[in-house]
Amino acid sequence: MATTFGDSEYQYHPPWRKLLWVKQDYPDNYVDDSFLEELQKNVNVRDYDYWTMVYQSGIITQHISTVVIFVAIFIHLQNNSISATQLIWIGAASTTLGYFCWNLMAKQQSFRRGRVLKSAAFFFSTLLGLSPILKTLTSQTSDDTIWAMTVYCFLANVLSHDYGTQSGPRIKIPGSLSTNAAIFASVLLASRLDTNLDVFGFLSFAVEWFALFPIFRKHAQQVHAKQSIMLNMVLQLLCIILFFPISKAVVILYLFGFSFLTFICPYWLIFIQKYKNEIHGPWDEARPRLQKRTRRVTYRKYT
Amino acid sequence: MSTCYKICMVSDFFYPNMGGVESHLFLLSQRLIQRGHKVIIITHAYGNRKGVRYLTNGLKVYYVPAMVVYSEATLPTVYGFFPLLRNILIRESIDIVHGHQAFSSLCHEAILHSKTMGLKACFTDHSLFGFADASSILTNKLLKFTLSDVDHIICVSHTSKENTVLRAALSPRNVSVIPNAVVASQFLPDPSASDPSWTTIVVISRLVYRKGVDLLVAVIPRICAMHKNVRFIIGGDGPKRIDLEQMREKHLLQDRVELLGPIKHSEVRSILIQGNIFLNTSLTEAFCIAIVEAACAGLYVVSTKVGGVPEVLPSHMINYAMPEEDDLIMAISNALHLIRYGKVDPSKFNGELKDMYSWSNVAERTEKATSPLIERLRRYYGCGLYAGKIFCMVMTLDYLFWLFLEMVFPRWSIEPAPTFPSKRYQLQTDSDCLDQIR
Repeated sequence: MATTFGDSEYQYHPPWRKLLWVKQDYPDNYVDDSFLEELQKNVNVRDYDYWTMVYQSGIITQHISTVVIFVAIFIHLQNNSISATQLIWIGAASTTLGYFCWNLMAKQQSFRRGRVLKSAAFFFSTLLGLSPILKTLTSQTSDDTIWAMTVYCFLANVLSHDYGTQSGPRIKIPGSLSTNAAIFASVLLASRLDTNLDVFGFLSFAVEWFALFPIFRKHAQQVHAKQSIMLNMVLQLLCIILFFPISKAVVILYLFGFSFLTFICPYWLIFIQKYKNEIHGPWDEARPRLQKRTRRVTYRKYT
Repeated sequence: MSTCYKICMVSDFFYPNMGGVESHLFLLSQRLIQRGHKVIIITHAYGNRKGVRYLTNGLKVYYVPAMVVYSEATLPTVYGFFPLLRNILIRESIDIVHGHQAFSSLCHEAILHSKTMGLKACFTDHSLFGFADASSILTNKLLKFTLSDVDHIICVSHTSKENTVLRAALSPRNVSVIPNAVVASQFLPDPSASDPSWTTIVVISRLVYRKGVDLLVAVIPRICAMHKNVRFIIGGDGPKRIDLEQMREKHLLQDRVELLGPIKHSEVRSILIQGNIFLNTSLTEAFCIAIVEAACAGLYVVSTKVGGVPEVLPSHMINYAMPEEDDLIMAISNALHLIRYGKVDPSKFNGELKDMYSWSNVAERTEKATSPLIERLRRYYGCGLYAGKIFCMVMTLDYLFWLFLEMVFPRWSIEPAPTFPSKRYQLQTDSDCLDQIR
């Protein structure tokens, strides 16, 4: 570290070190070449493929289609285009069909058929008993309030629905907020119907449609991706057919919304990825890694 | 040094609140007074403590009545503080306003107003911030606003400098790194104070998530099971204290883990000297003065390698670990081994650290570190597409408000305050001065 007076070329500076406890010859605001060396930008950013995203947007459009179909069925029921008995039979048939398909797909879970049948029978008989009460539940409320609340509830359902595609080893029940919102909306709508049988049919269909069908759809999505596209098409077609006699404007709006979600939104997302600016570095709060304690989860119902 | 500066330190966080920022403010001010400058401090009123108070060596503290919203930070009322601040700055004929801590709204406002009045402004940041969550985004934008027009910025470590430069989009040449310091004579080691039959590990921190209490909870039972003569002393309080008590109950470690509760700063040394090892499990730290204090007091340090911690202590005083349970266990076992077989002598650390981190050095460097309207507007404009315009408007209104105050409360009507003659009361001029007063 010899320094000769006067001639700055021969001054030897020890290299700058990123330490605080050693007195260094550099000024306090010195900027070294290694400044911001540990900065990592955009490490977690994934590249999206357009067509993959178009396929995956099918999950969202599927759910929106189910909501639209449900509303269409309500309107038909109110106009007496469908009778309650027809609805009950359709609901029961499709549920049994779905249940058998489910049994074939989900081989790892062993369900006791007897118990399932017993709980289903118990549930539907309770619903039958409660339908007179549910019919007169909101008789004091005006129609406009009902329609407005229904809209909000379905909006909550669509927004809070679990659209995830990854699965764990267990079957996840879809989030409680979305299911509750949908059931509440259907109870509100059911109170506008005329007879007790109508109410029972509508509500049993609602439970099957919003509580059981999503589980089936989610599993189908994971296991058979191509078939779920077909399911998507079927639901769309059903939607258009059901709404056609009611209002053509809704059909056009629905088709427009569907194409926007499926084709334009993925393109938009990919377009704005270039503005992403994610910064990581040594200043980030560390995530403590602890050993996972194994937890024993008991499925008491299914043993 | 030739010129005598009149400095005003502004922060929400000051005595009677205890913490790193608070003690930094106090000790730095004391040193600057000793070097012959005039220092006053402005902070918000703590409970009944309002008005003007004098601390050691004539350090004048203004406890300004302001509403506290959360964790000793005041409600930001951009212009509300201006009249009072202007009055104080003119009374004391201040040249430089030095703000501390990005969370303190008093600090941001003081810097804005002092630049409007034409004084010099300086800012010191003591914490690290992320970029991703909502509170960080807002605070960073505010910081960009305040630091658009500041004369100098000081950070307490190199990691903190990188972080601040990115957050506020600054030129790194304007940022100096001046570390915190410790009064080494307050933390003298005492090898006879620790119990020889046990190896004691001391932990003193706020018991919050950020300080890695989850890691501590996971590590303590395993260490106690692996090494039979190790015990823990944990000082400090916080929301995560429950987790530690639960862990103690679950593993029946009541005789080996002692929870002391909240500790006063004056008692810290007496607890530190009872230990052999100091453990720090923080998930993020800009500087971590606690490990320096512990090393001064003669403890060997084991810490997680996060933030600015790797820059603080030389490698023979500290053992690092990643913020993972297994790595921490290894590092602690290593440290226990070193202590047991006498391979390291922590009582010598105090002598070394006394020179590395002395307040006189920090004060000297701070001293070295310390513009027309259109120029200001141009700087504020670059803060962002919409934010830049908003900030320009805020600043212009501030300027107009200042002109209004100059007209309504003119300068000649404000009586200048007499300076406290601190030189007359100074007994010694070297570093042991504070030691005598405490």
